[in-house]
Amino acid sequence: MAKVFIYPTTSLILSDLVARFGHTPLSAALQIRDRIQTPGLESPPLQITPEGPKKGLRWAAVEVPSGVRGRMSLYGPMIEEAEAAIIINNPDFSFGCMGCARTNELINFLIRKRKVPILDLEYPETDEEGVEFVAAIKRFLDDLNGGAA
Amino acid sequence: MTRVRIAQLSCGPEYSGVQKEIDAAAAAVDAEIFFPDLKLADLKQSYDEFGLDVRSPDLKLAIARAKALVEGRIEADAVFIATCFRCAEAAIVRNELRRFIHENSKLPVVSYSFTERTTSGTLLTRMEALTTIARRRALLAREVQQGLTMGIDSGSSTTKAVVMRDNTIIGTGWLPTTAVLESADEAIRRALSEAGVTREEIQAVGTTGYGRFLVGDHVNADLIQEELTVNSKGAVFLADAQHGPSTVIDIGGMDNKAISVQDGIPGTFTMGGICAGASGRFLEMTSKRLGVDITELGPLAMKGMSRKVPMNSYCIVFGTQSLVNALAAGSTPEDVAAAACHSVAEQVFEQQLQEVDIKEPVIMVGGTSLIQGLVRAMEELLQTKIIVPHHAQYIGAVGSALLASGFIKGD
Amino acid sequence: MTQYSPRYAGTVTKYIFVESPDMTPSDLAIRAYEISQGVMIKETCFGLQVTGSEDDVNRIIDSLRMLDPSHIFVKDRGFPPGDSRRCRANLGGARPGYFGHEFEIGLIRRVSKGLESLPARKPKDTPHPPAPSRVRKLDAARLKKIIDSQES
Repeated sequence: MAKVFIYPTTSLILSDLVARFGHTPLSAALQIRDRIQTPGLESPPLQITPEGPKKGLRWAAVEVPSGVRGRMSLYGPMIEEAEAAIIINNPDFSFGCMGCARTNELINFLIRKRKVPILDLEYPETDEEGVEFVAAIKRFLDDLNGGAA
Repeated sequence: MTRVRIAQLSCGPEYSGVQKEIDAAAAAVDAEIFFPDLKLADLKQSYDEFGLDVRSPDLKLAIARAKALVEGRIEADAVFIATCFRCAEAAIVRNELRRFIHENSKLPVVSYSFTERTTSGTLLTRMEALTTIARRRALLAREVQQGLTMGIDSGSSTTKAVVMRDNTIIGTGWLPTTAVLESADEAIRRALSEAGVTREEIQAVGTTGYGRFLVGDHVNADLIQEELTVNSKGAVFLADAQHGPSTVIDIGGMDNKAISVQDGIPGTFTMGGICAGASGRFLEMTSKRLGVDITELGPLAMKGMSRKVPMNSYCIVFGTQSLVNALAAGSTPEDVAAAACHSVAEQVFEQQLQEVDIKEPVIMVGGTSLIQGLVRAMEELLQTKIIVPHHAQYIGAVGSALLASGFIKGD
Repeated sequence: MTQYSPRYAGTVTKYIFVESPDMTPSDLAIRAYEISQGVMIKETCFGLQVTGSEDDVNRIIDSLRMLDPSHIFVKDRGFPPGDSRRCRANLGGARPGYFGHEFEIGLIRRVSKGLESLPARKPKDTPHPPAPSRVRKLDAARLKKIIDSQES
């Protein structure tokens, strides 16, 4: 069972397929849950305090906007933990956690730098592309288990 | 009092840990923040129609929400636009949305670029102005001062008081701010004495400036109001530009205000945010270093050529360094004075005036507007004639006295 | 500074989306209530949110998935159900993540199609998706050749 970074990290489709085919999706929700369930100073809505952007300095320098660094405090640990990644290359309408293009560019770069197995895809636009999409994900995830289906 | 509903268009505050600061600032002025509701299909259509191609989905959402507000599909009383400081993409969206809303609706709008260190205190005056414009349009529509009223402006550098009767200023008091209440008492004493009236005769009092709450409480004020709306009102009143568009610039001791005004009511504004090199303080330091009184700095600067001395720092320490170097290198006090004025004007121009639409007439107010060299430098930068109305240094006090007359009993 | 004490600490919440011609969110909810055994179930317009210990939540999900495997989709949620910080009633509008769901739900039937038809295909017949599109620029030398051929 591999920890699979998904992009967009908020994707229902990727989260579902990764879990369905026997692996652990690393989704933004897990990081948010971690904050929502940890006592500390109140900072609604996401319980990201000004400490978040400071933690983000590990992945982005101080001249990088605070929103990028705050988001990186969520994604940085996920990227470091990832054993594989599935990336959808046209997530034009993923808001909130994936709402900042600069962060998304950085995430994309850092996950590729990890040299873990990566599957690049686009959202399916036809039924046949849907079949290709699911087949590619299944094949990729099976291969992570050494090819055993 | 009904709660003012402020629509938030933003990217990044939840991830910077500052959303709670925005919420708190709004709550402090009895307003609430909300996020205009859309459907994905509307979002896509509105974003396409607006035509600004951005990569960040949250900025697309902000654009679509702005369109829904302007088109009246969603109701709001005011708009707050907030994006991360130092994000170029967001800065473009912020400016274009501010302009779009200002030009196409009556909604007051303020934009702000935050860092993780932004606090509710920093946002409070802006939120207060937003809610005042939304809530007190009737009050702000007042164009004539009636009865006998007093206005007090408790500023960071100076405290001013003005007594007005039947639309005329009859007494003024001015002194540097030391202890807030004592300074206010003394300014009031001077204004009353010049006017030849007693405190008891005054029918209504308004306060503004940093110390407005403390002083307002102390003098039992009828109106306690932030300086953005009050100064706009005072400026158009004194400059006789109450109708149509105008731009008000106030370079203060601690922060600067640039306000785009329509019919005496602020539409968009920026406030503070830059360092002391771009404030009245720097000019005070310059006059001290040149060994002249601050009142002499303006005439001195008018005789000099700013181009002869390199000086353009927003930092007061570096600015002073340039000043000392220039004098040591043999520059004349006239040129140094002119350069200091140009430097302050340039910082305000570059850092703040870009965020409001400059529409004529441009009115400069506040104590620094009496420094002719500074006004000239700003005129050169803006390529327009600037109006400095009489009593410009009393602007906040005049605006307060004018608005306070709306509170005269039986009025 | 207000101290924050979390509610539902130690639980997990998962979304269960159903996008099916044969099953509505309320059908799903009825089945979920039957097997909930004290686990918190909240019905929504797109399906359910289930909150409880990870094992309990997974047990319910495994059971529900079997009802319509190709049309039920599951994802983690950071917040417990009805949390005022994410609730539309409090925010005035949908939380940003909602639009992402709306977008994916709009195309999820193609994923369902894939899940349905894949088992029937032999492994060697399963198609590969095209590589994500990259707009290729025309090679300058080739452009020159085209221009030359037009001129001659």
